[in-house]
Amino acid sequence: MIELLAHGLVLFGLIVSAIMVFYMQDLLAAALASGLFSFLISLEFYILQAPDVAISQAGIGAGLTTAIFIIAIRGTKRFEEGHR
Amino acid sequence: MKKYLAVIVILIITSFMFIIGIDFVFGAPANSDMDDYFIEHGQEQIATNNIVTTVVFDYRGFDTLGESTVLFTAVIGVAMMFRKLGEGD
Amino acid sequence: MRMSKIVRTGSDLMYPFIFIFGWYVIMHGHLTPGGGFQGGAVVATGAALVIVAYSYQEVNAMIKKAILMFQESGGLVLFIGAGLAGMILGFPFFYNWLANSGSLFGMSVIPGPNPGELNTAGFLPLMNIAVGTEVWGGLTIVILYMLSGVEKEGI
Repeated sequence: MIELLAHGLVLFGLIVSAIMVFYMQDLLAAALASGLFSFLISLEFYILQAPDVAISQAGIGAGLTTAIFIIAIRGTKRFEEGHR
Repeated sequence: MKKYLAVIVILIITSFMFIIGIDFVFGAPANSDMDDYFIEHGQEQIATNNIVTTVVFDYRGFDTLGESTVLFTAVIGVAMMFRKLGEGD
Repeated sequence: MRMSKIVRTGSDLMYPFIFIFGWYVIMHGHLTPGGGFQGGAVVATGAALVIVAYSYQEVNAMIKKAILMFQESGGLVLFIGAGLAGMILGFPFFYNWLANSGSLFGMSVIPGPNPGELNTAGFLPLMNIAVGTEVWGGLTIVILYMLSGVEKEGI
C-alpha cells in the first residue's frame, strides 16, 4: 500500500513537472523543471528496484542535460518572446 | 471542434496505455534460462557479488566495448563541430 | 559572464564531495549498484557544476582540454588493453584472466549472499576504472566545447 502511494506521488509529480516545462516563460526555470522531471524519473527507477539505471539517469539526465541547457541559455536569451 | 478532437485522441491513447499496463507483471520473464545460468555460476566463475556488473563487463563485454566506442565517437564529433568556434585565442 | 558569488561559493564547496562519491561508485562497481559509466557520469556532473558557475576564461585556466582528451583516449586504450592482455597470456579475447588467480583483485568469493570483499572480481575493477576515466573525460569535454562555442559567438 505504501509502495502504491509512493508510485502515485512520483507519477503525479512527473505530470506536474512536465506541465511546468511546457507553460514556463522563463527558460532557466523551464530547464530546472526538466531537471526535476529527470530526477523524479530516477526516483521511479529506484522504486522499481533498478538502482543502476537510477544512478545513470540522475547523473546524465538531471545533471549534465540541465548543465547543457543552462549553457545554451547563457548564449541566447533568457525569456521566451511573443505570445504563446 | 479541433480542440475536442485532440482531447478525445489523447483520452483514447491514455486509456489504451492503461489497459496495457494494468495487468503487466514486472520481474517474471517467460524464458529465464540465461538469467538462471548467470545467477548460479557468476560467483564461482567471475568471483563477483554484483551479478549486473558481471554480465555487463564480462559475459557481455563486447556490448560495453561498443558503448565506449559510441561515446568516444560522439565526443570526437562534438569536438570537431565546435572547434572552429572556439579557435582564435 | 559568470554566475553570482553564492553560486560560485556553493560549487566550490560541493565539487570535492561529488568527485569522491563518483570515485566511490567507480571503485565499488563490483560490490554495490553502479559501475564505470554511472560513476563517470557523477564525476562529470561535479565538473559541470564548476564549468557552469565560472566564466569561460576562468574555466579555460582551470581545466585543460588536452588533459581531458588524453584521459578519454587513455581510458579506451586501457579498456581494450585489458582485454588484449588475456590474448597474450593464451586466453580468448575479454577472458577474465585475473579472477580466482590469487594476485591483484584475485580473491575468490564464498557462494551465497555475503557482503563481499574489495579485493575480488579479477579485471572487472580495471574495466570499471577505464570506463569511468573515459566517461569522465568525454562528458566533461562535451560541456567544455559547448561552452567555448557559446562564449565565442554571443557574450
